[in-house]
Amino acid sequence: MEVDGILVAAHELKEPLATLRQLAFAFDGMSESNEIIRDKMVSVSDRAIRQVNDLLRLRRLECEMPEMEPMAVRPVCDAVMRELEYLFQYNKRELFIKYIGKEQLAYANRDLLFSVVYNFLLNAMHYTGDETRAELMVRPVKDKVRIAIRDFGPALPMDVWKEMRRGWVEKPTSIAMRPGSSGLGLFIASKFSKYMNAEVGAVRHRDGTSFYVDLMKSQQMRLL
Amino acid sequence: MIFVIDDDKIMAECVAKACGEKGVRIFGDALAAVGALEDGLPEMIFMDVMLTGPDGFTMLNELISYPDTMKIPIVIVTAMRLSSLDLSEYGVVGVLNKDTMTPTEIKEYVRKYCR
Repeated sequence: MEVDGILVAAHELKEPLATLRQLAFAFDGMSESNEIIRDKMVSVSDRAIRQVNDLLRLRRLECEMPEMEPMAVRPVCDAVMRELEYLFQYNKRELFIKYIGKEQLAYANRDLLFSVVYNFLLNAMHYTGDETRAELMVRPVKDKVRIAIRDFGPALPMDVWKEMRRGWVEKPTSIAMRPGSSGLGLFIASKFSKYMNAEVGAVRHRDGTSFYVDLMKSQQMRLL
Repeated sequence: MIFVIDDDKIMAECVAKACGEKGVRIFGDALAAVGALEDGLPEMIFMDVMLTGPDGFTMLNELISYPDTMKIPIVIVTAMRLSSLDLSEYGVVGVLNKDTMTPTEIKEYVRKYCR
């Protein structure tokens, strides 16, 4: 089998991050303020490792399609919330979640869906102002299940919005016009959504932006 | 005594530290660990699978081929996605992912398998 240089390089990049994460855990007997620094080190490593893993997954998806199955969206969103809770608290942002309507099954891949929601929420945390909140809302829209993440930050520039309207993000730098971001998270979320035959989009608000992903509703519900 | 086998020395030391008060021996490769079995059997082993020289799977095969070593509980510590594999036939009692594992999880295995 041919060795994929990108995959090897990504693993090489990830290894020191995982080691640094463990080193942070190895500190003990620390003051409260140093414990906060340690938690921050772990949190930053976690995010970086997840991004490398997402890029690795993206590479693998070029060769193999993801396994799709009917799944409840709520447990996936709850799991992302648990993982990002600390980061939101640390950055003085609130995280608000709302499930509207009856629980629906969507057709998705769990790992990819987790990453889509994770990256949208991370993006919202980045742009939402201090002491304000980001909102995650799940609701049925026609024959789809919509997961929308709303931030309260600068309005999305018109050209970025047009690109999102098209349904995907071509490359990370193509949405770099929004200040302070390479757009990597949205790029990953957009690509993963496409692999799940889901659609991403954005809604402009005067005081922020909502990014959403529309997943196909699973027909399995009709059998219940 | 606990064996920790990993060619990443810093990672091995982190795992050893998480084992707490238990005596720990660290090995950078499988051959050194197999040689040390002559000095006495460990209560359990934490082991990476991607090792310099013979890999972790070779080590697992070696361990299950002798009646005394086949009973040693082994925890795989890896960056590979192995959690869905059932390796219990090889004495593997758990798989820890290097990307996400915490000292608490390591301590939990030590508490469960070491007296």
